[in-house]
Amino acid sequence: MCRAQEGYVDAYEELVRRHGARTYRVALRLLGDHHAAEDVAQEALVTGWRRLASFRGNAQFSTWMYRIVTRLSLSRIQRTRVTESLDLLDAAESSDDSEGPAALAERNLAADAVSDAITQLSPPQRIVVVLHHLEGLSYEEIAHVTGSTIPAVRSHLFRARRTLAVTLGQWRDRD
Amino acid sequence: MTDIPRSAPERSAWDVVALLDSIDAALPCGRSVDDLLEQVAEGVPPATDAHQDSCPHCQAALTELSLLWAPVPELARSAVRTPADLAALVMNRIHRLINDVWYTLQLTDLGTVQVAARVVARLARDAARTVPGVRVALGRSTAGRIAEVVERATRRHRHPNAAVGVLGRTAAIDLAIAVEYGQSVHEVAADVQRRVISALQDSIRLNAVSVNVTVDDVLY
Repeated sequence: MCRAQEGYVDAYEELVRRHGARTYRVALRLLGDHHAAEDVAQEALVTGWRRLASFRGNAQFSTWMYRIVTRLSLSRIQRTRVTESLDLLDAAESSDDSEGPAALAERNLAADAVSDAITQLSPPQRIVVVLHHLEGLSYEEIAHVTGSTIPAVRSHLFRARRTLAVTLGQWRDRD
Repeated sequence: MTDIPRSAPERSAWDVVALLDSIDAALPCGRSVDDLLEQVAEGVPPATDAHQDSCPHCQAALTELSLLWAPVPELARSAVRTPADLAALVMNRIHRLINDVWYTLQLTDLGTVQVAARVVARLARDAARTVPGVRVALGRSTAGRIAEVVERATRRHRHPNAAVGVLGRTAAIDLAIAVEYGQSVHEVAADVQRRVISALQDSIRLNAVSVNVTVDDVLY
């Protein structure tokens, strides 16, 4: 990391190559739209470069990037900046705006249904579901990434799972 | 919603989805559907729970929830095709950023210090002008071999119109000077290098500075 911090673009390029796929994936899961996800992923990786100086060497780059991409995705969902807020789950709560299910290509139906169902969740629920159930982060890691607390993560997850199961149930019964 | 036909014959006295939609979401046996859902979603092997193992309600709910939840891990496993040009686009933007805003970067315990390249160029030029025997000192991009050296030293992150390349705590500077007639050209040039390097190290704390001097003219 030191080399990248000193301003060496080559070292950062390596990080972009290593973390690009994950960054894009998280944005895609959160936003449900390829174009928006590509935009946000690019923005996140460029933001990483600009803020490299504030990156703490003792944190993992992946955790840091999770935070950046989650924050930017949330901004996109809310169409506002949320840079002032430290607790992303808290900031997400104040938003009742959710983008409708977006077009998803080349997916099987079940996965499609889950993607749709996820984008219908409230922003904080969406964040915890994506980070926990899709990305496999622990409650503690999510609390760290979102600047929130473990109990808050757990409670959002509880509600999110319930909503998700109900939506999936409706989807199933509709066929 | 109301025009959607109810799913045909009731499978049991309760429906797990309907239960989840209710506030307390408890099975007839009293178990919380949320807890069972958590168990399924986390993929936790059933705990040694005598009640759960023998309770038909719990077993039915677990089966039902597993089916409902199955697409989630499936989505988690499914590969996402990353746009092939993502890294290239990001690096393009970063390169543009470097050309637009062009600063030295120093990390200290208190935070970061950035000095604009034009400040480095200005300080270098002023330092060169204080050297006896130097009549003109212009920071300017010299063509050819030196420019190439600067470019390599700064990994091509030079400002097109500046005579200085900065990168982190390293700087490479191009200076074109005119020397007063009668002075040793070589000594004046070497003085310029020393003076510029020490000025930049003192004022900006750059740790590696290379100064390329081109003597363009001799003035009477």
